Amino acid sequence: MIQFSSVAKRYEGGLEALRGVSVEIAAGEMVAVTGHSGAGKSTLLKLAAGIERASSGTVVVHGQNLGALGETALAILRRRIGFVFQDHKLLFDRNAFDNVALPLRVTGCAGDEIGRRVRAAMDKVGLLARERAMPVALSGGEQQRLCIARAIVNRPSILIADEPTGNLDADYAKAILDLFQSFHRVGVTVLMSTHDEASVARLGCRRVALASGAVAP
Amino acid sequence: MMTWLRLHRHALADALRRLATQPLASLFSIVVLAVAITLPVLAAIALQSVGSVASSLETDPHVNVFLTLDATDEDARRIGDALRSNPEATSVKFVSRTQALAELKATTHLAELLDSLNGNPLPHAFTVRVRTTDAKKLDEARDAWSRLPKVDQVAADFEWSERLGKWIHFGNTLLTTIAVVLGAAVAFIVGHLIRLQVVSQRQEIEVSQLVGATASDVRRPFLYHGLTQGALAGAAAVGLAAGVSLWLGLQLRALTPNYAAEMKVVFLDPAWCLAVVGIAAALGLAGAWWAVGRELRQFAQAAR
Repeated sequence: MIQFSSVAKRYEGGLEALRGVSVEIAAGEMVAVTGHSGAGKSTLLKLAAGIERASSGTVVVHGQNLGALGETALAILRRRIGFVFQDHKLLFDRNAFDNVALPLRVTGCAGDEIGRRVRAAMDKVGLLARERAMPVALSGGEQQRLCIARAIVNRPSILIADEPTGNLDADYAKAILDLFQSFHRVGVTVLMSTHDEASVARLGCRRVALASGAVAP
Repeated sequence: MMTWLRLHRHALADALRRLATQPLASLFSIVVLAVAITLPVLAAIALQSVGSVASSLETDPHVNVFLTLDATDEDARRIGDALRSNPEATSVKFVSRTQALAELKATTHLAELLDSLNGNPLPHAFTVRVRTTDAKKLDEARDAWSRLPKVDQVAADFEWSERLGKWIHFGNTLLTTIAVVLGAAVAFIVGHLIRLQVVSQRQEIEVSQLVGATASDVRRPFLYHGLTQGALAGAAAVGLAAGVSLWLGLQLRALTPNYAAEMKVVFLDPAWCLAVVGIAAALGLAGAWWAVGRELRQFAQAAR
């Protein structure tokens, strides 16, 4: 489903975030990417989601070599991947419903279909009662769940989450991880980064450890 | 197809919402654009009005041949024959001195003045319609006719209206230049306004792109925004120009009630009004395209 072959990523200014990374994630698999801050976890996830491009090596997602895709094709591929951002990337000038509806509006989904799918996604993350709330009125955990609802509203086959439990207390973190596990159980490929080794152990999923931009043995 | 229509409907609704959520800012920008568009429209109306007066004037190529005061009816008959025998003359009309005096008395307020004169100061005259407008042939005919005995003066009256035509042509060239310059200004103003919008919505654009919006998806609502802004400004400009023309028309009528040629402000016909709105909309679209394209390139570079 997702295949990294000798992938390197260098940013402008010379920072080398990834070096010779080769990882393969099968369809329906749940994988946790672990490592310290700056190990390259976020970069790996962004490359898998087609948000950034590799400097060298190949990234293949859904059988497509992302390096060979043009900007438009890459954007269309992103519609099939749900991404939960570390900083949520919510739009604070519109309510919870409209935030979740954004990916559907982008694809030109019909109005009643939007309503149905947004409510299903918000129900899934337990925010159905808050659809009219503005993001600023939501707690950190609720904002995180809103971001997850936006990521799953397109019913993606791949869900990628960058530090989804980063700033949450233990109970909230557990609830979020249980949510990801429930997506995994229905066949969604889940790729997430975390520095919380204990929760990875509890989930019992495969772990890819990164250290200084390379896969640690 | 349905999806495509829906995307465009959403983009249009989005653009209208943007206009509506900032009514004062939208109004100001539309007024600025409308004023810029009104200037060439008014210039076009002015030229059209002058053109209509010019075309209502005598532009038929004709030559007036005035005889000397002592020319007799016999002289006039002889000269008439000579004029008719010229191949360039298509018709020759004789205006006798008495007929000319009667006409002058009837069409002007000079009757009393003319009565106070001793005798008739007007000569016999011929109006000769000619086949040619070619200056050289005309000069030859004029030379030949002015050499006829008892001919005092040969005047080609239509020359000045030809000259006016040339001035109108020059005016049209000037108008086109002004329209192009102001059109570019409109495109840049819209471009700048849209760019401000794009910058203020940078976050929305970024998130949309992250969840799968293509460059066209991002561009679409801004293009509709530019298009509607341009079209509204075009319509406002037509309205503004109509108001100004109406007012000027009233002023002109008060000023020139007694002129033989009717002076009036000729407003643009409906097709031209539509064209103004269409061109303004196209300029808005072009400005928006330029602005969003610029910003999108910057986003794309940031993702590298």
